[in-house]
Amino acid sequence: MPAYRTGFALPLDELRDEIDRLWTTLVTAPPLHGWGQRSEESVFPAVNLRETDEAFTVEAELPGISVNDVDISVSGDSLVLKGARRAVDTAADCVAASGADRPVEAPASEKVVWLLRERGSGAFERRLKLPVAVDSLRVEARLVDGVLTVVCPKLAACQPRKVEVRGG
Amino acid sequence: MVTKTETASPATPPRAGLTYRPNVDVRDRGTEVVLVADMPGANAATIDVTFEDGVLSLHGAVAPRAFTARVIRQEYGIGDYRRSLRLGDGFDGARIDADYRQGVLTIRVPRLAAVLPRKVEVRAG
Repeated sequence: MPAYRTGFALPLDELRDEIDRLWTTLVTAPPLHGWGQRSEESVFPAVNLRETDEAFTVEAELPGISVNDVDISVSGDSLVLKGARRAVDTAADCVAASGADRPVEAPASEKVVWLLRERGSGAFERRLKLPVAVDSLRVEARLVDGVLTVVCPKLAACQPRKVEVRGG
Repeated sequence: MVTKTETASPATPPRAGLTYRPNVDVRDRGTEVVLVADMPGANAATIDVTFEDGVLSLHGAVAPRAFTARVIRQEYGIGDYRRSLRLGDGFDGARIDADYRQGVLTIRVPRLAAVLPRKVEVRAG
């Protein structure tokens, strides 16, 4: 039998958990969806979806993510965006992550002194259901200045069509 | 965290014309401070970085995009980026270096040589 009442001695454990949690926020990068939000509520990346008669255009903000780190798959009316952003732990990484090509003289043993750490890192996966099926063979995507644009042409059968009325 | 924070009213639905506060990482390397900001959709030519009285300010103009298409889902807004951070004294504003790639702005602010630790040689008499 425990020598303490449940709920009496436990606050110490809670305090330790709280300290552990605070310590983790200090030494690790935030998750992509940010601190203070539960992961099940997280949505990354945020998307804007627009529609014309011929196609859907999906835009997503993916700063610091290279073309090689994004995987896009389309099937029927579902679009999946997958990828990852590396955690940046040294100044050399900071510059490398931004793609700068100048040599960085950071020593390997350099101490990490973070003054602010708001940019998240880690893997992401976003599944979107489009209103109608799209032609997966004609889907095109491009990533410019951290903005991903995916153009998904609708299947011909799903496009609006004017029906001629024959006279009798 | 890549989610953008509106600096205007957070209750306002996302729309063009608002200014956004980019998420930043700031790291002290001793000889310099490195700031990395997520600014997707900006343009190197329209990003202004200024350093005055120990305050580093960045502003990225983002041109509003004209859409004729119907909006089905709008989860983020498009607008200028603006943020200021107080770094303090002892920095060399003339040698600040800024680089914009893949929607990420990296600014390196070097410290003045006069404020860096220096080993003083003792001369023999």
